[in-house]
Amino acid sequence: MIQKMLRRASVALAATGLFLTLGTAHAGGGDLLVAPTRIVLDGPRGAEIVLNNIGEETATYRISLEIKRMTPEGALEEIDPNSVNDAERQTLAMLLYSPRRVTLPPNQPQTIRLSVRPPAGLPDGEYRAHMLFRAVPESRSISAPATPTSGVSIALTPIYGVSIPIIVRQGRLEATAAIANARLEAPGTERLLRFDLSKQGNRSVYGEVIVTRPGVAEPLVAARGVAIYPEINQRVVTLPLSQEQYDALHGPVTIRFVEDREVGNATLAEMSTVLR
Amino acid sequence: MNKMLSRALAGSLFIAAGMTAGTAYAAPVTASATASATILSPVTVTNTADLDFGTIVSGASAATVNVSTAGARTCGAGLTCTGTTTAAAFAIAGSASKVVTVSVPASVSLSNGTDSMTATLSSSAGSGTLTLNASGNASLNVGGLLGVAAGQADGAYTGTFTVSVDYQ
Repeated sequence: MIQKMLRRASVALAATGLFLTLGTAHAGGGDLLVAPTRIVLDGPRGAEIVLNNIGEETATYRISLEIKRMTPEGALEEIDPNSVNDAERQTLAMLLYSPRRVTLPPNQPQTIRLSVRPPAGLPDGEYRAHMLFRAVPESRSISAPATPTSGVSIALTPIYGVSIPIIVRQGRLEATAAIANARLEAPGTERLLRFDLSKQGNRSVYGEVIVTRPGVAEPLVAARGVAIYPEINQRVVTLPLSQEQYDALHGPVTIRFVEDREVGNATLAEMSTVLR
Repeated sequence: MNKMLSRALAGSLFIAAGMTAGTAYAAPVTASATASATILSPVTVTNTADLDFGTIVSGASAATVNVSTAGARTCGAGLTCTGTTTAAAFAIAGSASKVVTVSVPASVSLSNGTDSMTATLSSSAGSGTLTLNASGNASLNVGGLLGVAAGQADGAYTGTFTVSVDYQ
């Protein structure tokens, strides 16, 4: 499998005049499906997550819980286990799950069972960890594949995966959100809509961004699955645009942040502005 | 491509849970049955191409080989570059219009055990954010800038880089 995962490039030194090309283009060891993509637990309930090997080879996956903090830019930054704070350590301790490592043949799903054991006297609040699903790369034996007798070969293996938030809510939590400072930006070849999303309160706010033109029903931009987490009070939301969307957005627009469709579509924040 | 599509379709997961049917020990006149199903929206990530720098013959001085996120090569002065280059490509499939953040490391270190090379990585999601399209698809490409030293030492250089698709 590793042979297939790796696409090799060879570098032969000019002095030797040797060219070495090894292997053929093939990828896909470790392809995966994960469902659902977000879990919110109110109280001591459990959940099940499905992991499926959608690759063509048997693969071993590792399932781990990580602490990630949202940055003011809206990225999720992984926090080293040695640097987590008390609440984050408590989060990792109260989330129980298994299995943590599983080998799956192609098209074989596996259920990951998750349960929460909140300790007695847990302060009200929102506790969050991110469950990471990632294929374990097969180890390469030292003797194989053959090292070229002269020249250089290069093997770059991507290790890729998916992380989903696991959110535990304890007690009465409230939050409100607001939108400000919407602007269009065009760095290099990228076309972006950016705005500041702020929140007040002690839980995350999660929903869908819908940008409309007054009098036009069809949204110009729709983006689902945008969150602002408790650890920050303001973040930048960056939405990549096509050139057509970018051109169409100039002018008066209304930006709405609404609850997810499954929850009820209530408007969380709204702003009308003129984009230039 | 067909394979990718069928995988994405197969991704509509259906989980039956809580199937109970009346048991016979009490000899009931009527049996009750409850069934429930949960439909979960999944995400799939498939690796469709690896980052390939092609074949390089090193020169008398240090130089670089760049593979853009589109897979196009720029061969540094003094180097001879042949072969096909590709950028690493990943296909992400999920719910329509979903926003995900992607993390790709800034660089990857390659080693043959004693000597090393470094490649700086570049992602097609420059802002670190991807929005899945109306069909729920997005692609992510990773290119790289490989530094080749003058008289780069022989050996099989290997390295790994991690790519993660993070849901909020």
